[in-house]
Amino acid sequence: MLSSGRHLGVADVVGSNLDWTVQLDEVRVGFGPKQILKGISANLPKGKVTAIIGPTGCGKTTLLRSINRLHDRRPGFNLKGRILLDGESIYAGSTDVRELRRRVGMLFQRPNPFPQSIRENISLGARIHGLWSRADVSTKTEYLLREVGLWDAVHDRLSSTPFSLSGGQQQLLCMARVLAVEPNVLLLDEPTSSLDPHSTTRIEELIAGLKEKMTVIFVTHNLQQAARCADEILFLEQGEVVEQAPVKQFFDDPADPRSRAYISGWAV
Amino acid sequence: MRDLLRRGRDMLFWGLCLLALALVIAPSLAIIASLLQQSWPALNINLFTNTTATNGLQNAILGSLLLMAGILVVAGPIGIAGGIYLAEFAPPTRAGILRLGYETLAGIPSIIIGFVGYIVLAQELHWGFSLLAAILALSAIVLPYVVKTTEVALLQVPATLRDAAVALGLPRITTLRRALLPPAIPAIASGVVVALAIAVGETAPLLYTVGFTSQDPTLSLFQHPIGYLTYVVYLNATLPTKLEHEVAGAAGLLILVMLLALIGLGRLVARRAARYAAQLPS
Ligand SMILES: Nc1ncnc2c1ncn2[C@@H]1O[C@H](COP(=O)(O)OP(=O)(O)O)[C@@H](O)[C@H]1O
Ligand SMILES: [Mg+2]
Repeated sequence: MLSSGRHLGVADVVGSNLDWTVQLDEVRVGFGPKQILKGISANLPKGKVTAIIGPTGCGKTTLLRSINRLHDRRPGFNLKGRILLDGESIYAGSTDVRELRRRVGMLFQRPNPFPQSIRENISLGARIHGLWSRADVSTKTEYLLREVGLWDAVHDRLSSTPFSLSGGQQQLLCMARVLAVEPNVLLLDEPTSSLDPHSTTRIEELIAGLKEKMTVIFVTHNLQQAARCADEILFLEQGEVVEQAPVKQFFDDPADPRSRAYISGWAV
Repeated sequence: MRDLLRRGRDMLFWGLCLLALALVIAPSLAIIASLLQQSWPALNINLFTNTTATNGLQNAILGSLLLMAGILVVAGPIGIAGGIYLAEFAPPTRAGILRLGYETLAGIPSIIIGFVGYIVLAQELHWGFSLLAAILALSAIVLPYVVKTTEVALLQVPATLRDAAVALGLPRITTLRRALLPPAIPAIASGVVVALAIAVGETAPLLYTVGFTSQDPTLSLFQHPIGYLTYVVYLNATLPTKLEHEVAGAAGLLILVMLLALIGLGRLVARRAARYAAQLPS
């Protein structure tokens, strides 16, 4: 349960259809007087990968961070409109913010493991959220490390620092850390932009496997990658939605001339 | 020809640099040299085995170390907690007020802090010359420094690390303990070390709060004066005999040695901090 109170079917404006787990309803985000997102409405379907694309500075990161309330403590932050997770507004007063963040996991542009052991990087969140008992730690850590493909590389140094791992390995560790808290939504902010090809492939494979279990929202500046990984495309420009369409349709026959102009520069 | 001119200009530039360096270093070297020369005949084991009553420094050395330990216990935890509160928990307006508070405290001359300590602690509260009063006065002097270094150390932790912890839904206290403090600790520790170095050189607030005695210090917090090194420098310089002057020089030299040791320690910790930071995500 997201909110501490009664389950409210508040999605009547956008339509309470639980096939859409993340619903953006006229989302406007600003910092002080500066308006970044200018009314974003979109439905991000469960069990699919939605790629958010658009030029640098169009607000992709700002939008993604709004979905697990990472802007909350930033001075001047203001949000209008609603973001609904399974029909509940995540900015409602009754929202348990920590539980929301557990349900909405995020992987960042640069790997950012904690200054703790490799094992603790994975187990910390799960232990704090009460998902794992102390006895679970070693088996579940191993399971997750195998899942992301790091086990062979790190099984003999689980107690040592993650900073000696390569960037790609660190990002895979961060992926395991997010998966440990069993999120329903996975936010990815250009997670492979600083990675080697091997780790990039590994992350893409993981995304393909994970979408059955969760809603994946994937920001990428790489259109080839969007075409490879996504089911849906959400194309933003200057804080506004230009077009949302299934991936094939978006690349073969975009409805908006701005989309056509944007992808023609890339030759997918 | 052009080459020669450039060579000449280079040499002039380096010459000026060296001159500037010499001007910076010369006074320090001159001070050390003159202290050595002053204290030479007195530099022997008696300094450590005799008290100031018999021209040693034992009580003063012990007193200075005791004061440093006291600061470590009082200003350390309070300053670190204050810095953590400011960096992580205080709402912006309250943080602003608190910052104004410690910046003001930092600007108050130490002799005034000593005087207030004397009026309030020694007189009003009847503590007399008291180890605790001295520790509190010195702590008030170095506290702003510890708060500030702690706050800055935490604010310099890469934002991505904080994001990682917050995005995972960790409570703030866990975020602090597991993500933010480990990389900040070396910088905080080197701040505390510098605070100790500042305190070692203080005299004025001690004159008011802990007086002086040539007996070895006791651990009683109230009604007992203790000796400390800076006072010996001050007092012995005014005494008539050559031996007393030599002991004053030796006390000065010891303060300098302690300072250098503390600065070296601070550097060491800071170097560790830099190495650590290099491994962190940016
Ligand atoms: N905290 C902030 N305060 C003011 N402006 C910001 C802040 N964060 C981002 N921006 C601005 O918001 C716009 C969108 O940024 P961002 O969401 O990072 O874009 P993208 O991820 O699409 O490249 C940019 O113009 C950026 O300068
Ligand atoms: Mg971005």
